[in-house]
Amino acid sequence: MDLRFSPAELAFRKGLRAWLAEALPALPARPHRDDWSARRRFDTDWQRRLYDAGYAGADWPAEHGGLGASPTEQLIFLEETAAARAPYVGANFVGLLHAGPTLITQGSDAQWAAHLPRILRGDEVWCQGFSEPDAGSDLASLRTRAVRDGDHYVVNGRKIWTSMAQVADYCELLVRTDPHASPHRGISWLILPMDTPGVQIRPLRTAAGSTEFSELILDDVRVPVANRLGTENDGWRVAMITFSFERGTAFIGEVIESRNILREIVAIARTTPAAGGGTLWDDGALRRDVGRLSAEVHGLWALIRANVSQASAGIVPERGASVFKLRFTENRQQIGDLAAQVLGRASLAMSDLPGTDGTGHLVEDRITTLAYTIAAGTSQIQKNILAERALGLPKEPRWTSR
Amino acid sequence: MDLTLNDEQLALRAGVREYLTDRWNAGRLRAATADAAPGAADWAADWKELAELGVFGLIAPEAAGGMGLSLADAAIVGEELGTALIPGPVVASVLAAGLVDGAVEGDAIVTMLDTAPGVPLVEHASIATHLVVVDADGLFLRPMAEVAVTPVETPLDPLTPVALVTTEREPRGQRIGTAADAAGRLRGTVLTAALQVGVARGGLDLAVRYAKERVQFGRAVGGFQAVKHLLAESLARVELARAAVLSAAVIVDDPEAGDPAEAADAAKILADHAATAGGRTCVQVHGGMGFTWEVLAHLYLKRAWVHETAFGTPDAHADFLADRLGPKP
Repeated sequence: MDLRFSPAELAFRKGLRAWLAEALPALPARPHRDDWSARRRFDTDWQRRLYDAGYAGADWPAEHGGLGASPTEQLIFLEETAAARAPYVGANFVGLLHAGPTLITQGSDAQWAAHLPRILRGDEVWCQGFSEPDAGSDLASLRTRAVRDGDHYVVNGRKIWTSMAQVADYCELLVRTDPHASPHRGISWLILPMDTPGVQIRPLRTAAGSTEFSELILDDVRVPVANRLGTENDGWRVAMITFSFERGTAFIGEVIESRNILREIVAIARTTPAAGGGTLWDDGALRRDVGRLSAEVHGLWALIRANVSQASAGIVPERGASVFKLRFTENRQQIGDLAAQVLGRASLAMSDLPGTDGTGHLVEDRITTLAYTIAAGTSQIQKNILAERALGLPKEPRWTSR
Repeated sequence: MDLTLNDEQLALRAGVREYLTDRWNAGRLRAATADAAPGAADWAADWKELAELGVFGLIAPEAAGGMGLSLADAAIVGEELGTALIPGPVVASVLAAGLVDGAVEGDAIVTMLDTAPGVPLVEHASIATHLVVVDADGLFLRPMAEVAVTPVETPLDPLTPVALVTTEREPRGQRIGTAADAAGRLRGTVLTAALQVGVARGGLDLAVRYAKERVQFGRAVGGFQAVKHLLAESLARVELARAAVLSAAVIVDDPEAGDPAEAADAAKILADHAATAGGRTCVQVHGGMGFTWEVLAHLYLKRAWVHETAFGTPDAHADFLADRLGPKP
């Protein structure tokens, strides 16, 4: 056991840090959160800069144009970019972390050539069409139908929680191709070009007030059969591969941000006068709450290192990934509550309070992170996974409806 | 960077686990707690067996008769000892090995007294041969025979007898460590945390086994989400704490890899929480049987509460971590 980095890894970190120090000040101003075309421009421009510097697709194999980095180097990449507060993967999330990796393991030569280089360069943005209004945690009950018509599928149905739909070029789409098979066996995974006639986008306002998500309404949408990934009715297996990518790395950089927020909370507490004199930071209860959450952040970082160590040894850290998702998301929500506690009435301002230097993002983070225990497998689903797969407790009865 | 167990560590763990399964199983624990006079059990023979297994000399330097292994190795063994609810002043004896003659061999059984404010209570006074007094000036050794103690009639944990030290503080005994040694109690913190991870895992294993067997409403109770999720939460706490403990053990041995004090304190907080909350879950999942003396669930919770008070409470460690984020103005 050791927590040292190899000379090659240290060199990778040093090179990346030097590049970030040059690249970040040269970035244009960050766009407004609801200006979707500006956000696409900003995020894909950042991706292009990563590509030109040779940092695109850290986790993608080299033969597909990625960096082919080791799990430890991928961790270093996420750690350094988060520490430098570099732009988040943003509009490139689905392409880089979902669809791209899934294409790599399941796609054809033609599908690789059509999409992989464009995703890496930031020329192509993807969105996700998995969940439906009536198929959330029970994803396998999805009902969007695809009926074969010559060399096309004709798709009808509704998808929901589709981020970046307004500016996406393609959608990874799960459809039901066999309504008579058992739920998990009649699903196919399609590449849907978003400019296909019959695709209607209806923005969905989130609790944070942004139009982060959309609902997709698919009305007689014709998708070429050649756009299918894997064989017909084998889409559930393909989707499970997609999920395994998501659970691995999606939140790693965010742990750094949790630590940053804790520091901000302490800085505010140290300068905010308390009612009985002194500052809020004299309050032993607050200090202990901060200390406990800080201990969890330490633990989460240790868990990431343990998971990455397993991945380096060729073991998929399934249990560790579920534990991380469960505990990171709860921790971050508690940090949000603590931020509100030290902000007091200032926590009523989600944009910056006039005349103060920026506490609005703490309030916004408190709202945004409400989604963390829901998205990518709710906490309750994670607990089922842990209880059934790691502890061997009886499985949930299957009452899947269609 | 690697936090996985290597072949030697897997073998070390397997060896200790095999011995413990054989010698310190449920039947033995039940017999030990059935004793009419708690704490009267004679552990001298067991202590020698543990010594032969190499438990006490794990981290003592080879020159002092120890094995000179890493703190991570000791933490791996510590988790196993915790899972088995091994009684006795394990951490104090491991730390004393190399400083106290006979500790490595199991001839000296060393317990510890922390002179920080609070009630001067020592664990296992009746079986200990030596007492290490920890105060701000350093570490001091006294033969137990010279220390006046009054045993507590009924200890919280039937397997952790405690006694009040009534001896005057002076003389403190033979100095065996400096103030720096006393301040640097990180190894004790990490080892206690490792025991707690084991206590948490032991309680979880017991509860899971019961949840798979116990049938109510026509189903194994472990199939109900209300129960399942309690157990999943316990598992998550164990996994998080174990990662923190192993990481802290590596960092204490190799301070360039991180901040030893922060890592050790964080590990103790998480491990204490895993053991105490997990112990409660273990009792709860057993239903009414969880409140009986016969079912071992209560022993895991009680031991968790014992370790929680050793090498810094979670509150004290949390205050330290808060201070690291921003000292008091």
